[in-house]
Amino acid sequence: MKRAVLALTALGLALGLVSCSGMTILSNYRRLENIELVRTITADAAPEGVTVSICGAAGKESGPRQYECSGPSMGVALGELMLMPLGRDAILSHAESLLVGEELAKTGMDQCLDYMERFSETRLDTGVLIVRGGRALDLAAGLTGKETPAPDVIAGLGKNISRMGEGYFFTCREIASSLAQNGCALVQCVKGEEGEKLFEERGELDIRPAGFAVLGTEGGPAYLTEEETLGTLVLLNKFRSKNMDLEVEGTVLTVSVDRAEAGFEPVFEDGALAGIDIALKLEANVICLTGDGALTDALYRKSAEEALSRRILAAVNAALRRSRQLGADFLDLEGVVRRRAPLKMERSGESWAEVFPRLALNVRAESTLLRTFDIVDPPDVAGEEENRSPWEKLIESLNGS
Amino acid sequence: MIRILPTSAVIYGGRAAWLSPVPALLGGLVLRGVYRWLRRTAPEGAGLADLTVLSLGKAAGRAMCVLYALWLTFYGGFVARSASERLLATVYPNGGVGVFIAVMLVVALITASGLTKTLSRTAEVLMPLLLAVIAAVLLSALPDVASENLLPVTYLDAGSILYGALPIFNVLSAFAYFLFLMGHVEPPKLTRGNSFPWMVLLVLVAFGATFFTLGTLGDKLAISMENAFFMVIRNIRVFGVVERVESVVVGVWIVTDFIFLGAVIMIVSELWRTVTGAKRRAAFVPPTAALCAAAAFFISPDAFDFQRWSDFIIPAINMTFTLVLIPLPLIAGKLRRKY
Repeated sequence: MKRAVLALTALGLALGLVSCSGMTILSNYRRLENIELVRTITADAAPEGVTVSICGAAGKESGPRQYECSGPSMGVALGELMLMPLGRDAILSHAESLLVGEELAKTGMDQCLDYMERFSETRLDTGVLIVRGGRALDLAAGLTGKETPAPDVIAGLGKNISRMGEGYFFTCREIASSLAQNGCALVQCVKGEEGEKLFEERGELDIRPAGFAVLGTEGGPAYLTEEETLGTLVLLNKFRSKNMDLEVEGTVLTVSVDRAEAGFEPVFEDGALAGIDIALKLEANVICLTGDGALTDALYRKSAEEALSRRILAAVNAALRRSRQLGADFLDLEGVVRRRAPLKMERSGESWAEVFPRLALNVRAESTLLRTFDIVDPPDVAGEEENRSPWEKLIESLNGS
Repeated sequence: MIRILPTSAVIYGGRAAWLSPVPALLGGLVLRGVYRWLRRTAPEGAGLADLTVLSLGKAAGRAMCVLYALWLTFYGGFVARSASERLLATVYPNGGVGVFIAVMLVVALITASGLTKTLSRTAEVLMPLLLAVIAAVLLSALPDVASENLLPVTYLDAGSILYGALPIFNVLSAFAYFLFLMGHVEPPKLTRGNSFPWMVLLVLVAFGATFFTLGTLGDKLAISMENAFFMVIRNIRVFGVVERVESVVVGVWIVTDFIFLGAVIMIVSELWRTVTGAKRRAAFVPPTAALCAAAAFFISPDAFDFQRWSDFIIPAINMTFTLVLIPLPLIAGKLRRKY
């Protein structure tokens, strides 16, 4: 009995200590309707230092909200913003995206990443985007419609950007890991475009992908072109799909490239790394054919496949050139070589910085048109095609192949 | 273990550290074999403290037990502080270390005041819960694991793998302290050699923590973090529906903290009982808990200094005790046929 009383007293003391410290849900209880769940944070350069804003979701009875505050640094500004009487308690635990203005990205990316990594509320899997040609705050405000919160639009782009073949939302974790591992990292860029406001609920601006930025280069981020971004996606094996028009024998063939894989084979000569053979495997499906093309014709299809290979090869070579020009291994070629031939690379004893500029990078591509989705040849709108039976067409097709 | 292990193993073993649990287990089994051999001819119900006194004689044996007790009191303080620092760095950044230390020691005091079999049974009962949480967490983190962060591993990494095994072996070697409680656990359990599956489980957890931390963050990012494994947990998202589960995980870790801390206090009180020749050890529990609290408060003024303790000083002292200072008197006694 005496022991039980002692144990209960001690437990009571422990509970009392916890409660008095203000660290329990009871002492820091917040009602759900009083919480502003921040989904997007923006950060821009400002005369004071940094301007930050937070965007939450749309409430049941209220539209989307955005609050902003300036301070000497991101940490101070966000700290103040969260203590400001917003009418709600802002919490950053579920922030999905961080938008950084181009001006701040020049000098302040490190503070943004450090804040996101260090602060206990934010998480490392927050997507980071650099806003080209404007302020992140304005983009978020422009995306916000009467009932459409900016985070919804950004999340929509994040979901589809890989399928559009125009980029990839890198997270703080991926960026920090790449910076630690390779000394450089890629960040997705976006831009705001004025679109026609066709319905009341949408905002004034549309968000568009604007290629990758490379962090870790001298003088702030280096921005990749659309073509270099496509090549980078393919080389990083982060390409999902992309619709593209190919000019084939005077026609325009629209294909959906659904597979683009890069295989790497390091080439060693006399024990030293001499080059890397890069083999691209591309697969596409026909979406649309404009003009007098014949998909039943094997030669036409071959021309189409070659056109696709040329297009992707150009993009990949552009990305490789840019990586070498910047002296930044954002394609992680060193990692690839070390994984493919770890012992040879170790024995060669050369540093990547010495090897990279003189490496022979041989890229080849193999494309395959897989299917045409039911309609083989396009409808004969012009009426130029003579009336032939399906048997005649089949025989002609077999002769052609 | 989870606070120290992934980062320490990666610091020592680099990219290949996820393989380090294998040599660590082998080392642990060898050490376990040595301790089993030392205890083989021990009188029934004798713990390591009794064997030390038998081996060295009353005066020297008791002096040795005092040394063990002092170290383990300090170690208990370190465990309490370590758990508190983890809570501060992860869930309660604005809290104070003192509250956590006080609460943890109060709970550990209650635990240590009870019977040894109650504590061991509690640990057995809670183990499935802990394993289930760890397994669920690790499975959820699987999509974030990138093979690029784990490979390549070649024979050239053998040295790194062995080096990375050191911190894991250091944790495993702490099982030696539990042998001080021999004589308080039912004999049938001893004869079955129960420490083996526990050791394997511990190594599996170490493997999971190291593998997932490395695979998610990469070695260079992982070593720049204080609680790398916790960062992995903070990012977990299950089917885009469940996220931010770290509070639950930290909550479960607290259970292991108080059980381990309770066991350490229990061991120290048992040592004092042997030294003083008292019949019961209960009287030694509150002063031990108070001394642990003092050690936890005064071990270091800030997190930077504490990191130094947990990275180098404590593991070094711990291994000195488990590999040298505890077995050496027993080996001497065994050779002199004292038991």
